[in-house]
Amino acid sequence: MYYLGVDVGSVSTDLVLVDEKTNVIEKIYLRTKGKPINAIQEGFKILKNKYDSNEIKAVGTTGSGRQISSTLIGADSVKNEITAHSIAALEISNDVRTIIEIGGQDSKIITIKDGIVTDFAMNTVCAAGTGSFLDRQAERLDIPIEDFGDYALKAKTSVRIAGRCAVFAESDMIHKQQLGYNDSEIIRGLCDALVRNYLNNICKGKEIVPKVFFQGGVAANKGMKKAFENALGFEVFIPENFNMMGAIGAALIAKSTVKKRGKTNFKGFNISDSKFTSNSFDCEGCSNKCEVVKISENNNPIGYFGDRCGKWNNKVFDGLENLA
Amino acid sequence: MKIGIPKGLLYNNYHPFFITFFSELGAEIITSVDTNKDILNEGVKYCIDEACLPIKIFHGHVSSIKDKCDIMLIPRIMQLHKREYICPKFCGLPEMILNSIENMPSTINEPIYASSEMKLYEWALNAGKRITKDRRKINSAFNKSMNVQNDHIIGINDSNYEINVALTGHPYNIYDDYINMNIVKKLNRLGIGVITEEFTDEKIKNSEVKKLFKKPFWTFARNNYGFSVSSAKNTSINGIIYISSFNCGIDSVTVELIKYEIENFPFLLLKIDEQTGEAGLNTRIEAFADLLERRYQYENNISSHG
Repeated sequence: MYYLGVDVGSVSTDLVLVDEKTNVIEKIYLRTKGKPINAIQEGFKILKNKYDSNEIKAVGTTGSGRQISSTLIGADSVKNEITAHSIAALEISNDVRTIIEIGGQDSKIITIKDGIVTDFAMNTVCAAGTGSFLDRQAERLDIPIEDFGDYALKAKTSVRIAGRCAVFAESDMIHKQQLGYNDSEIIRGLCDALVRNYLNNICKGKEIVPKVFFQGGVAANKGMKKAFENALGFEVFIPENFNMMGAIGAALIAKSTVKKRGKTNFKGFNISDSKFTSNSFDCEGCSNKCEVVKISENNNPIGYFGDRCGKWNNKVFDGLENLA
Repeated sequence: MKIGIPKGLLYNNYHPFFITFFSELGAEIITSVDTNKDILNEGVKYCIDEACLPIKIFHGHVSSIKDKCDIMLIPRIMQLHKREYICPKFCGLPEMILNSIENMPSTINEPIYASSEMKLYEWALNAGKRITKDRRKINSAFNKSMNVQNDHIIGINDSNYEINVALTGHPYNIYDDYINMNIVKKLNRLGIGVITEEFTDEKIKNSEVKKLFKKPFWTFARNNYGFSVSSAKNTSINGIIYISSFNCGIDSVTVELIKYEIENFPFLLLKIDEQTGEAGLNTRIEAFADLLERRYQYENNISSHG
């Protein structure tokens, strides 16, 4: 019997299956590419060949695409990624005090005391200090982002690069390249810049108490781990499934929801064969003229998103509540 | 004579005064509709880029009614209390609008000093003369509108929730549901009650402000600081949510002062700009709601164990 967690983020869509003891049995990492529905279907196709839908006892979603994915797959729980990340980290280690999470479009700090979240902060409207900052610079340097960590570790010195804004960083980086610094030194400088920005911006006024977990896609970068350790002065732990923590948390939340309620809403892996269409239209109900997206499964509407008043959206919510 | 009153900035606070005053003088009142996508788009199109979202939206409101009225009211509100001022963008509001939006009707844009009834009366007399020469009529309109304004009570004071947040920020961000994406409704739906600064005694707010090394220059800074810090000491309030417009200079100082003072009390800063995607806002308030709920349960468990 397994629990399925689905984390639909801006950059990646992650699916995990965990067993009763929270061992990760299966993990699938897919690029969302702006099409969350396709990504979920793709993931389900892989799972369908290995597992039976009846083996799934509970399903939970998280990430910025959590509502849409919940409608699609019949989730038992829909939870924000901050709560999901902290629940997953606490499951692995109950003495974790700080979680550093850096993803594609956002970065967070979560502080924990006595097993409960006491504070969190996220980047504001701008995506500075997130994975996309490194992604952008990797593109410029023409070095695959996967190799960034190795490059950074090779450098003996770090070049100071402005980290507040990707545009400033880029011009600063070009100037340093012109001065003759090599790629390794520049990349280490970029990692240091991102860490500096993260600590000064997002963690401003927050105490970073060990034990620290570093999770999210950017934790794959060894240079970033090193840069954090240099800046903080103590060891930073990267959990084994660092890029799946949101999905693991979602699975755990679903597990406890279903334990309380008794049965799952899961629609089964066969939705990978369904034809999902989305249409958008401007609601004419009032002067807000909200852009509403309608999602249909084989031509039956299953959910509406994007309206402010809830006129359309509630059709989905009511459905979920009735099931519950 | 048609007077246009845009539904932006401090409209929600002071519309009873303005509407009563001009209708008593015999003018027809044209207001814009509640903020919506068209108004936002127009505002962003006309307004200089550096301004904050509420100022941009005000431009949108003006543009939506400029062809429907003979005179447009652009309230250049300078002062509400002695020795402190409203945000600097209000002093230049009419200039920003007149230089950005073409074919404007004539405007009433004299500075408004509302720190005393006398000073406000001077403004009313000037503005009133644009409509009528009858001074007695202006006087009676002024008195009446002062009374209506004094009876106008705004603010949110939910009482049937176990967990409550103090919702703070500039009033036009709190009371414009389009700008703040219906945050009050969203919080209520998550089982969280909302309390705004109007229900905290001025004396309590000011006693916190007095502890600062210098009295804040800006009215909203004083208010938000006093309200937030006193809320952190109020046992029926579990957290603070501060709504702030992206690149607001006053908030950048106020928020730091508050955070410094309240230490570990739960505080969520929501920056808003012209984005209409709600996922980012929803994630933050849902996570904050989870945090408050767990803290609440945790604290109550501790106390029940003695």
